[in-house]
Amino acid sequence: MKTKILYYTIGLLILAFLLSGCSTGMTPSSWAGITSDGETAYIAMASHVYAVQVSNGTERWRFPEKPDAKKTFFAAPTLTSDGQLIVGGYDRILYSLSPSNGAINWTFEDAKDHWIGSAVAGKDMIFAPSADYHLYALDLQGKLVWKFTAGQALWGTPVIDDTNVYFGSMDHKVYALNMTTGKMVWSTELDGAIQGAITLGPDGVLYAGTLGDSVFALDNATGKTLWQHTATSRVWSAPVIGDGCLYVGDQAGRIVSLAVDSGKENWGIQPDGPVLGSPLVLTGNIVFGTESGSLIAVDPGGKISWTQAITGKLYSTPVLAGDLLLVAPVEGDATLVALDQNGTQQWVYTPGK
Amino acid sequence: MWETFIVTPLTNVLLWIYQLVGGNFGLAIIIFTILIRLVTHPLMAQQIKSSQGMQEMQKSKKWQDIQKKYKDDKEKLAQEQMALYKELGINPFGACLPTLIQLPIIFGLYQSIMRALAASPMQLLNLTRSLYSNFHISDLIPLNSHFLWMNLGQPEKLFLPFLPGVGIPLLAIIVAVTSYFQQKLITPPSANPGDQSAAMTKMMAIYMPLLMGYFAMTFASGLAIYFIAGNLVGIAQYAMLGKLDWKNLLPRAKKGEIVKK
Repeated sequence: MKTKILYYTIGLLILAFLLSGCSTGMTPSSWAGITSDGETAYIAMASHVYAVQVSNGTERWRFPEKPDAKKTFFAAPTLTSDGQLIVGGYDRILYSLSPSNGAINWTFEDAKDHWIGSAVAGKDMIFAPSADYHLYALDLQGKLVWKFTAGQALWGTPVIDDTNVYFGSMDHKVYALNMTTGKMVWSTELDGAIQGAITLGPDGVLYAGTLGDSVFALDNATGKTLWQHTATSRVWSAPVIGDGCLYVGDQAGRIVSLAVDSGKENWGIQPDGPVLGSPLVLTGNIVFGTESGSLIAVDPGGKISWTQAITGKLYSTPVLAGDLLLVAPVEGDATLVALDQNGTQQWVYTPGK
Repeated sequence: MWETFIVTPLTNVLLWIYQLVGGNFGLAIIIFTILIRLVTHPLMAQQIKSSQGMQEMQKSKKWQDIQKKYKDDKEKLAQEQMALYKELGINPFGACLPTLIQLPIIFGLYQSIMRALAASPMQLLNLTRSLYSNFHISDLIPLNSHFLWMNLGQPEKLFLPFLPGVGIPLLAIIVAVTSYFQQKLITPPSANPGDQSAAMTKMMAIYMPLLMGYFAMTFASGLAIYFIAGNLVGIAQYAMLGKLDWKNLLPRAKKGEIVKK
């Protein structure tokens, strides 16, 4: 009898253990991407792309109307100059939607892997990075113009100037391609995978954060490294320029201001949790989101102006829509939270069924 | 608890093997599967022993007599069955407990393969947090997820030059075939071929390989590599213990059927 009880106990313990294992599968694959034209915010979050009115947080439309297990979206949608909303899904399809009602204009289905990074739109071309190692250049009707093969997956949003398109890859390299021909102008190997976007400064310098715990400044004409700053941990997203400084956070939760010309640290603070998204530069403040759910505004001198606690984890970059700050928490009560520039919550958007 | 004791250690071992074999993730999965099977081999041997003991008991005259005697008294029959188990030295839980103990490892193995492949930002974030401090993340990421013609993070389809536009789920087919062979080779013939449990076993021998094949076709091909390696190692383990029944692969003559000579 005692043996029987022992076996049942062991069986129950194993079952509980297995169930706890099953629950780990519920974590979402990524974090939300937000874009706004000032009137409407477009949020790619899990099974839908939502269009939400910025003035009051009401839903205008969602795509697809009904959830489809095969379709999930996390890359921030991209608005083109001719009024299209480009969004890539984990179903390997790049969609062009109508920003007014979410109707499909066209789809591009050549990619062999997820669309994790957002596309960037030029005057008459779209440059879309895919996890299938390719950067796809499409015309505004969704026809392939050229594609370039990198050494690994592309997860970060490219950046463009008048002649070139620049992007980082998980293969540790930053590439510069001629945007008309797709021919490589240069590539530079850094010290780790470039997971996020890269930034192009007004002086033509490119700034990239790496999972090798560094921030690099590269000459956009040659790809030559101008300086390297060693962070305290992995840098997941693009550094941002504001007031002549470079602002970036890392996975250890340290936020720094760097001199753009030398990479020297002006100041550094460590508020309360990992910083994975890029900061948002406002007039007089730089706003960071942390995994602990804090939205932190820091003035250009490194002093915290205000902190607002948001339910959930803040991984994606805050977005300015009109006068409002938008953040999309993960594992929170709401999908989108709007705050004024003093950190006071204005509305929350939670999708209905 | 699940993370700390199962997924994290398995992920680290898998990635340690990956680095050891020069950055070949497919090979790392195969070696990892063999290692896990070796570690759990004593449990499997115990399981086989208990199953065989029960199988022999089912065939014994004593048990058949007991069944006849107490066919209308289920409680007494259960008591006599337990007494007979005791007499023959059979542990009735010996057949299922080892499987139960192996289940967390199989679940954890799947999760660790998926975690190591880190096909999305959240998975990559989890991976960076799972790695022990002796790993240099910048050296390890990105993982080379290509093996033969496959991207191990994606479901597999083989495209042949003479069949443009048609992808053959080759790995899923191999998973289904090896699962079928394993099931057939290791399942002993039923003591009572006509009873309900024998019919169930027969059905399982068909549906399980199809289900495994479907999983292999739907999920990342890294998992399919694990299934195939697991099936082949499983067959090898039974062969080493001398428990393979090759006759099971041949069609059997039905009861009452005259076999022409």
